[in-house]
Amino acid sequence: MRDYWLNKLFFDIQQPELAAQYKKDREAVVSRYPMSAELRRALLGDDIAGLAPHVNAYLLRFYFAICGMKDAEFIRRLNELPNTNKPNERVSRHG
Amino acid sequence: MASLVGVFAASHGPMIAREWESLSPPTRALVTQGFESVGQRLMKAKPDVLVIVSPDHWVNFFLNNFPAFCVGIGAEHDGPPEPFLKKYFNHPVLAGHAGLGRHIMDTALNRDFDPSMSHRLTLDHGFCLPLWRMGLDPIPPIVPIVVNEVDDPMPTMRRCLAWGSLLKSAIETYPEDLRVAVLATGGLSHFIGEPGMGQIDEAFDRTCISLFENGDPVTLASTLERDVRHTGNGGHEVRNWVVAHAAAGSQGFELISYAPLEEIYVGCAFAEWRLPG
Repeated sequence: MRDYWLNKLFFDIQQPELAAQYKKDREAVVSRYPMSAELRRALLGDDIAGLAPHVNAYLLRFYFAICGMKDAEFIRRLNELPNTNKPNERVSRHG
Repeated sequence: MASLVGVFAASHGPMIAREWESLSPPTRALVTQGFESVGQRLMKAKPDVLVIVSPDHWVNFFLNNFPAFCVGIGAEHDGPPEPFLKKYFNHPVLAGHAGLGRHIMDTALNRDFDPSMSHRLTLDHGFCLPLWRMGLDPIPPIVPIVVNEVDDPMPTMRRCLAWGSLLKSAIETYPEDLRVAVLATGGLSHFIGEPGMGQIDEAFDRTCISLFENGDPVTLASTLERDVRHTGNGGHEVRNWVVAHAAAGSQGFELISYAPLEEIYVGCAFAEWRLPG
């Protein structure tokens, strides 16, 4: 299920000023977005499996790219997600 | 009256700009040839206005307000916000065509369509990357049309066909003597931020190409409505191509080129639709 504020953080962080603040002090920025403790932990721990079900996939990609994760690492982690099927065997999450 | 002088499709993908300097020579060549071919055909059509149908990649719209369709009716629009594209495509502002944009909007409302409107859109890589690689000079005034294909619920393929027919009608009833071209961007298959990222669903892409070549809009809509649910999230951008298909009169298209380019994460295709008469 989508988490509005997690998506909002990932949307907002496309602004370079906020991205710079976030890189300096993640917890201070995250505290402005009212999300559950579980999601906050997933966020601060770069836990893609914990975040992916709650956020638009494009925004997830933007977020980790902005945070500096290399594509190869991001893709490796995506492909380790539970219930990952081959493309033609799956149902898209539509975002 | 205005006339429709060309309808085209071109894939887009931020990796084309982000990694341009480091792409392998074969990928660069395929991308370059595809965009340049569309660009040459577009310039040959001598459009006064270019209608571009593309998604918004979370630049103008968010979950608090995300229209299914939005028509840009302003005299100006902002160029791409992405730093990786700005360095190649230095257009902070792009000219719009307020007259045609407003006419498309009015035509839509008079025919019981209810799009959103914007007097100033920010045009992200979906709009601007093809403009950069096609090398249009000068870039004609643009009427941007945004289709939601980045987050559920999205408009149906059937509705996209209806939008294409509406767009064709709006262009043909615009009272000014204008040459208008349409460019659909995005697609074919790709997976962004989800498992499978970097893979291409070539079977889906080949099905799409065959359907667009064949022309039959009913089969096109029903097949894509089913199949798009089983490929990557980027495949939803094929909705723009469906709009273009109907705008061109559903006569089918000529494929210019297709290549499953894993290096840029996109099933990369270019096409020009046949126009009636």
